[in-house]
Amino acid sequence: MSSRRSRQASSSSRISDDQITDLISKLRQSIPEIRQNRRSSTVSASKVLQETCNYIRNLHKEADDLSDRLSQLLETIDPNSPQAAIIRSLINE
Amino acid sequence: MQPTSSMKEEFLKKWQMGLQIYRPLIDNTSVSERRKAIKLSADVAMASLRKGTTCWSRALIQKTATEDNFLVRQMLSGIKAETLINKKLPKVMCHRKIVRRSKKILRRRQSRSAIEEVAAKARKLVKKKTQGLRNVVPGGEFMSNDVLLIQETLDYIVSLQTQVNVMRSIVDAAEAGSERTAYYLGKLKFAIEDG
Repeated sequence: MSSRRSRQASSSSRISDDQITDLISKLRQSIPEIRQNRRSSTVSASKVLQETCNYIRNLHKEADDLSDRLSQLLETIDPNSPQAAIIRSLINE
Repeated sequence: MQPTSSMKEEFLKKWQMGLQIYRPLIDNTSVSERRKAIKLSADVAMASLRKGTTCWSRALIQKTATEDNFLVRQMLSGIKAETLINKKLPKVMCHRKIVRRSKKILRRRQSRSAIEEVAAKARKLVKKKTQGLRNVVPGGEFMSNDVLLIQETLDYIVSLQTQVNVMRSIVDAAEAGSERTAYYLGKLKFAIEDG
């Protein structure tokens, strides 16, 4: 009885390990730094997760920076310039 | 998976809608308030792409609603805004029973081979790194299941890439000198249509 249960337990944890392996390889493909590396398949799961955190943080920072730049633009822009037209079309569309 | 052109288009439309809501204020507020408005609309636009189907998008909407309830309600007026804002995120998302049971069984195993020891160490290391992920993905603190966490992370990354790509194209076009404006406008159109 207990041997059957432990067999079931190991098969359920094996399935979940496979799922995680599969998901981590998908992550590997999504992170540009890893994807561009020729030996990407040898990057460990731990490194993939670390790089994923870093990548997400970088994306956050870039989005903040872009919001900054856009808000500065609205401040200093000459209303008659082509740049203003672009922003106006963004806001008026 | 990469951001598709339809994702980028939909993000841009929703973001524009958010910025329009702020339009009366844009002329009369400080730079920092404008910046906040731009960022918040971009976040809600990104989250609404998923129409409440992912944890991270629901968590992000709730978080934004605490900063600007009005904006979120206006932007989501078509998509069950009330339910998304007020829905309580449960403490633990799913598969708690399975995790608990397999943990108990793992502990009960008295003898462990060397291979199992290595696997256990690797799992522990992965556990530590997934904690870092929980800190950066919205709603991550509610995802105790690692599989769910990584699935959500994958979707969140594609959405973030969409947001940043579109924002970058707009800002680059707007900052360009007049002789390059036409170039950037074309590039923006290309970037959105081509995906």
